[in-house]
Amino acid sequence: MAAQYDLTSKMIPFLDQHLVFPLLEFLEINELFYSPSSLLEARYELSLKTNMIDFIDKLHGDLVNAGVAPGSIESAKRREEILEKLEASQSEARKVLDVIENPDVIAALRQDKLQNLQFLKDNYGMTPEMIQTLYKFGQFQYSCGNYGGAADMLYHYRVLSTDDNLGLSALWGKLASEILVGNWEVAFEAVQELKENIDKTHFPSALHQLEQRTWFLHWSLFVFFNHPKGRDAVVDLFLQPAYINTIQTSCPWILRYLTAAVITNKRRKTLVKDLVKIIEHESYQYRDPVTEFVEALYISFDFDLAKKKLVECEEVLENDFFLVAVQEEFIQNARCFISETYCRIHQKIDVAELSQTLNMSKEEGEKWIVNLIRDTRVDAKIDYKENTVLMNTNTTSVYQQIIERTKGLSFRSQVLATSIEKREAAQAKAIQHEKNHPSTEA
Amino acid sequence: MSRFFRAGESDSDDTESDYSEELSASDSEDHSNSSDSDSDSDSDDQAADKKGVRNRFLGGDLSDSDSENDVVRVIRSTRDKRFEEIEQAVTAITNGQKINDWVSVQNEFDRANKGVQKAAGIIAQTGVPKFYIKAVADLEKAIQAALDKEKTASKKMNASNAKALNSMKQKIKKNNRLYEKEIQEYEKDPEHYAAEEEEVVEAKPKTKKTKKPLSDSEDDKDSEGEGEDDGFTPVGAGGKSVELNQENLFKKLREVSEARGKKNTNREEQVRILERLLVIANTPYQKIRVLLSLISAQFDFAIGLSGYMNLPLWKNAEKHLNSLLTILESNTGYAVKEDAPEEDDSDKDRSPQDGETVLIQGSIVAFVDRLDDEFTKSLQNIDPHTTDYVDRLKDEVGLYTIIVRSLAYFSRLEATDAICRTTMRRLEHLYFKPEAVIVAVENVANGLLPSHVAKPNQDASNLIHDLCVYLYKNASSLLRTRAMLCHIYHHALHNRFFVARDMILMSHLQDTIHQADVTTQILHNRAMVQLGLCAFREGMIKEAQSCLQDISGTGRVKELLAQGLSPQRHGTTSPEQEKLERQRQLPFHMHINLELLECVYLTCSMLLEIPSMAAADTNPENRKRVISKPFRRMLDYNSRQVFTGPPENTRDHIMGAAKALAAGEWQKSVELINAIKIWDLMPEANKIKEMLGHKIQEEGLRTYLFSNASYYSSVGLEQLAKMFELPLNNVVSIVSKMIWNEELSASIDQVSNVVVLHHVQLTQLQSLAMAFAEKASGFVEGNEKLLESKTPQQGERPKKGPNANKDQASGKQQQQQRTMGPRGSSRGGRNQFNNGLGNSVRGGRK
Repeated sequence: MAAQYDLTSKMIPFLDQHLVFPLLEFLEINELFYSPSSLLEARYELSLKTNMIDFIDKLHGDLVNAGVAPGSIESAKRREEILEKLEASQSEARKVLDVIENPDVIAALRQDKLQNLQFLKDNYGMTPEMIQTLYKFGQFQYSCGNYGGAADMLYHYRVLSTDDNLGLSALWGKLASEILVGNWEVAFEAVQELKENIDKTHFPSALHQLEQRTWFLHWSLFVFFNHPKGRDAVVDLFLQPAYINTIQTSCPWILRYLTAAVITNKRRKTLVKDLVKIIEHESYQYRDPVTEFVEALYISFDFDLAKKKLVECEEVLENDFFLVAVQEEFIQNARCFISETYCRIHQKIDVAELSQTLNMSKEEGEKWIVNLIRDTRVDAKIDYKENTVLMNTNTTSVYQQIIERTKGLSFRSQVLATSIEKREAAQAKAIQHEKNHPSTEA
Repeated sequence: MSRFFRAGESDSDDTESDYSEELSASDSEDHSNSSDSDSDSDSDDQAADKKGVRNRFLGGDLSDSDSENDVVRVIRSTRDKRFEEIEQAVTAITNGQKINDWVSVQNEFDRANKGVQKAAGIIAQTGVPKFYIKAVADLEKAIQAALDKEKTASKKMNASNAKALNSMKQKIKKNNRLYEKEIQEYEKDPEHYAAEEEEVVEAKPKTKKTKKPLSDSEDDKDSEGEGEDDGFTPVGAGGKSVELNQENLFKKLREVSEARGKKNTNREEQVRILERLLVIANTPYQKIRVLLSLISAQFDFAIGLSGYMNLPLWKNAEKHLNSLLTILESNTGYAVKEDAPEEDDSDKDRSPQDGETVLIQGSIVAFVDRLDDEFTKSLQNIDPHTTDYVDRLKDEVGLYTIIVRSLAYFSRLEATDAICRTTMRRLEHLYFKPEAVIVAVENVANGLLPSHVAKPNQDASNLIHDLCVYLYKNASSLLRTRAMLCHIYHHALHNRFFVARDMILMSHLQDTIHQADVTTQILHNRAMVQLGLCAFREGMIKEAQSCLQDISGTGRVKELLAQGLSPQRHGTTSPEQEKLERQRQLPFHMHINLELLECVYLTCSMLLEIPSMAAADTNPENRKRVISKPFRRMLDYNSRQVFTGPPENTRDHIMGAAKALAAGEWQKSVELINAIKIWDLMPEANKIKEMLGHKIQEEGLRTYLFSNASYYSSVGLEQLAKMFELPLNNVVSIVSKMIWNEELSASIDQVSNVVVLHHVQLTQLQSLAMAFAEKASGFVEGNEKLLESKTPQQGERPKKGPNANKDQASGKQQQQQRTMGPRGSSRGGRNQFNNGLGNSVRGGRK
């Protein structure tokens, strides 16, 4: 059943080939949806396009073991070629690196890139072409699977280069490398930087920008669901109008991750309203148990359905590469959301029924409610004899209402007065002006 | 003088007309290089003659410029006109330079550039006029010099002049980059460059001159060719019989086209001659030439804005256009193009050399456009309730076939512009039709098409999609907008609400539509209405209401949809305006049923307005919220009636239903709504009625809770469910939603399954305080509104310039209101105001 909610095939077109490997591996390890041999084959196919020659060999061996006979590969020859190329570009890059790593040079480098370039050119004979080799070497290393080295090279390149276009793709490369190394702290920074770059850069067409943003949304998932601060960031970022539009136009399935992030994010309950609006809007385009859960809870207020969807969510999350880590948290928070909504609407709740709604046994449920009352300071009491929860409704007092209503009045009047004054002044000035220059009118 | 000659001409039209071609040629010389003209003219008389002929000639041309030969001339004379404009501006620039008046230089420069832009088509053929290049090159130098001088000069220029000079510097830099090559050429050898131009100018009259005697003598012979037709041998007015044969075919053709547009040209006669010529013509070239003239001659018959081409004539034109296309399809060596070079010797038959194509001047697009326009015009004029209309409508397939056929022809020529125009026509014939009809039309059209043009049938939506995508990619922005609207309409018609909605939102059309021309706005209105109807069919009441609000809420639906003239109000519409409006009317078969539209709108309004009115009674904050003004007005009127009889029309039914709904009698409300006959016009009427019944139940429940909450301390959920015949969990979910949204201060007691309603009893003092607070805030609001109304809105004044077309302006304003809708206008104004205040505060603090 859960196979229909698998997003891997939808997301792959928006990911770098190297980034796809973890996804496929995840599917393979958990033995999900697809037959292992077909996954292995897919990985092999994918790896052929890269320069990770050892990896290709290994996969080839695995495939032969699995009983599938892929076409033979001339690995030896290719290996030689690649190594040769690697060495060549390494030696070229070495020249540049020698210069850059020189402590004197590091001390002399300033904020201004142009100045730096001039400095390097004057003192060490470095040309922009040489700096370009850093980029090429970085790219080559990346395609060989040496992500750490690639990240280093690209970092150096970005420090020195003034080419915006290549700079952007270097940034992409750096992000990918950091992700693959698992260096989340740095990757997180790279994501922020990349976002600024995408927003700032003037792309030849809106379509181009949309494409960049779509890629960005997909790549950033790696970081956001692994970095401790990631889930705050994901909510902040994805709910920005530009990115919401991107999600709506090109990749509605990202909604699942947004929803998960919002739900697991305890501090930002106010965002739920925005989220509900978006989910309602997009429900014709994309739906899965996660969004349907929110829909059931906040649009149709159908608690039974929400309960059912929550069970489904559990399964979907377990099978999702990005969300598997937050599964537990998601379920906890989702229960919180349910009970909160439930409490707000109801006055008297049967504990047994509520526990059932939350997929818990009676005792567990009771404990849960007690915790809830303590944590969220809901104004409620448990009636032990009748086994019910009694909610105390609190209405805003009349005094409060009146204060609210009259709060802005004096300020508004003040503004009014100022604007009248200003207008009069402007008029007087205009009259004065006219007197002084009667000829301009004529 | 010209008046004199006009009188003279009318006597001997034919002989005079012989001159016209070559005269207008030399006359055009006159304009491009006025110093030359004198030397060209043979005598004073002839020079005068020129003017007369030319003026007349231009006048005729303006009315119709379709015919092949006319196009030649129009291009030539427009060329001259355009170049003349540019040249004038250039002279003025030189003058301005001399007296150091940069303001005027700047103005003139803009004018010259505008002229160049206008003449872009001509320039593409002949190259940029050399005097223009010379001027801009010189100007750049002059500016440089002036700037240098300015730096050193003790007395500065006045501010505006200096500013103009500076901006000129920027402009000329940008401008001259476009003509870098030409300017270089010029700078290499300024003297020679200018001379070259003279030469080019000089060259033309000579060729014309040599031709003249020849044609003259020939024309004398059979100048009376336009005599009466009495059977087999045409006899001229002088009694001479006129042979029409292969040899003099082209000559005749020329005569006919020269006579075109003149006052006492007998148009019928012309058509007859051309038809005879068509019989004689036997080479493809001849046939094409004759057909081109013939079709345009036929179009000449229909003159005037209100009248339309009579049907036999239209059919004839259609037939001829078809045969023209057949010839062009079977003889791929020939191509009719607008920008084909003019034939230097039109009397010779031409046939394609191997590999080459013979280009003939003419415009098939214009013919197709005209044919289509005439078709629409005739539909506008025929009474739609007669069989004539239906008969006429049957011709559409033929027309559609021609459009498809010409599309195939254009795509062979790769004339993108023509393809776009024709594709748009095709789309406009299809977009409002349901899928089945489109398929049927396509099938018939495919049957009529010759086999090599016909394409395999495809799905109707795919067809529309393909057409639209082509236009998105290739067409100008206006056509793109129209294509987009047609696409939206099509989606909406087929119940794809979300797709249509996303398209309209993503295109941001609503922001810019009020700047578009009126017909596009009408198309937009149609698309919006269709979108609303689509939402209604899908059961999305709120969406439907907000889509329809802009149009149905205004009470001028007819006008906004171009489905009828607006009622005369205080004689505000001038005859011209009315005429324009009449021209915009849509043919009857494209109409959206207005009564159905009103019914849908009012039903939606009822479903939204009744609960909200009930809520307003208990919650004073909601009181001001009016969802649909027309609905409220009608309801008011209806309830003021002393005696209400049984409902007769749609409105009565809905009003009755609304009152029943407000009173909690949902069964009666459903009954009344279901009794409306017009639902039968909707596809799947029963399903819609069922949907409406369900909605009424739900809204009835809400209304009931709103209006009766204060009388109960608790209500049983099951009782509610029974009362409104809704499933229990549905009731729970509705009540929960109301509680969650804080519309209802209540909570559910899960154990005993009741809704507990909370009441806050206010003391006298408290309620007075509340009322006081309310009044105070109303007072401030009133003040704000007052100031707002007295503050002229910024940015609006400059728009109302004298050059704004008056009737357009008023139309636009109204349109703007419509497109903005109630939300936009009421809230938008308010927000703007607040923004203004914010600014002023900031200004005050500085």
